[in-house]
Amino acid sequence: MAQKNNVDVALLPFERAIEELESIVKRLEEGKVPLEESVAIYERGEALKRRCEELLRQAEARVEKITLDAQGKPTGSEPLDVE
Amino acid sequence: MSTLLISHSACLQHLTPAGHPERPDRLRAIEQALEAEKFQALGRAQAPIADIETIALCHPMEYIEEVREASPREGLVHLDADTSMSPGTFEAALRAAGGAVLAVDEVLGKKTDNAFVATRPPGHHAETARPMGFCLFDNAAIAARYAQKRHGIARAAVVDFDVHHGNGPQEIFWTDKSVMYCSTHQMPLFPGTGAVIESGEHNTVVNAPLRPGDGSEAFHAAFATRILPRLRDFRPELVIISAGFDAHTRDPLANINLTEADFVWVTQQLMDVADQCAGGRVVSLLEGGYDLRALGNSVAGHVQALMRG
Repeated sequence: MAQKNNVDVALLPFERAIEELESIVKRLEEGKVPLEESVAIYERGEALKRRCEELLRQAEARVEKITLDAQGKPTGSEPLDVE
Repeated sequence: MSTLLISHSACLQHLTPAGHPERPDRLRAIEQALEAEKFQALGRAQAPIADIETIALCHPMEYIEEVREASPREGLVHLDADTSMSPGTFEAALRAAGGAVLAVDEVLGKKTDNAFVATRPPGHHAETARPMGFCLFDNAAIAARYAQKRHGIARAAVVDFDVHHGNGPQEIFWTDKSVMYCSTHQMPLFPGTGAVIESGEHNTVVNAPLRPGDGSEAFHAAFATRILPRLRDFRPELVIISAGFDAHTRDPLANINLTEADFVWVTQQLMDVADQCAGGRVVSLLEGGYDLRALGNSVAGHVQALMRG
């Protein structure tokens, strides 16, 4: 359950995802989430965490590609596709 | 060996909004599960209405009156986002506390070896003066304090395997070294309390949080390495179980993956502690559990273990 409302997470930019994730963590820690919604909110937090991790991995890969290119023949800053 | 089952049809009259997980059908599922042939040997008793003075062992009179006055003549009133009252709720809550008190009387009066109380609303989120998380009065805490006051029990333990942390008993017993409160629960999840570092003023609160996705192995380890040794050291004279079955893998309100066999196992472990320290005295009180099939089967396993079946 509770996965159905998280399809939008895959399209969120990093800033929006981390902001919402921080808000969820704060609410869970403060006990401000109703019992009935608690698991759904936790699961959205998990989806946001995965989205942030994915975006971070992509950013790291881009940085890595620029570094490697700089040692050889510079070819610009073409983004690297990362799964 | 005798086990007493305590319930009351008035607990079906605590109505909650349509679609709410804490619903009367939970008790019907339990009743149906305990109709099986193997439960014919159960003693059965009606949950009485608790005296207000007994509830006041854990809650201020003003709070009890506030709850009574909030009781609607018709329809539902909401006390918070989760917790509501229907016209039948106040009596149900008094009988949920009364069932816990009767169980203590019967077990400590040696009329039965142990007891399971199948009532609602549940109790372990109710704090001293705050209804919360489907709960109005903290039945387990009331049972512990009543056992001490009425029967002279020096040390009682409340052991809570509901998937949500029992913020109520933790708050009520935070400064009380005569009651140990132990809990396994999912973190993060409602109500947000229950970290290992929360240990009470006298180190008598024992929290063993589980991670989402954990199953039997982590649950057994939490009891074997954290809770059971502390319980044995504490040497309770009565073991009260806050028996929530929402850590079951089918439960919609959490992400822990226990099965009926895990509830049987933990029941047996707690009975072993009670045999060693408390003359076998165990009082078990229903808390959560929101998948009806999982709840019925899990309660059946729990009660069969109490019957040493």
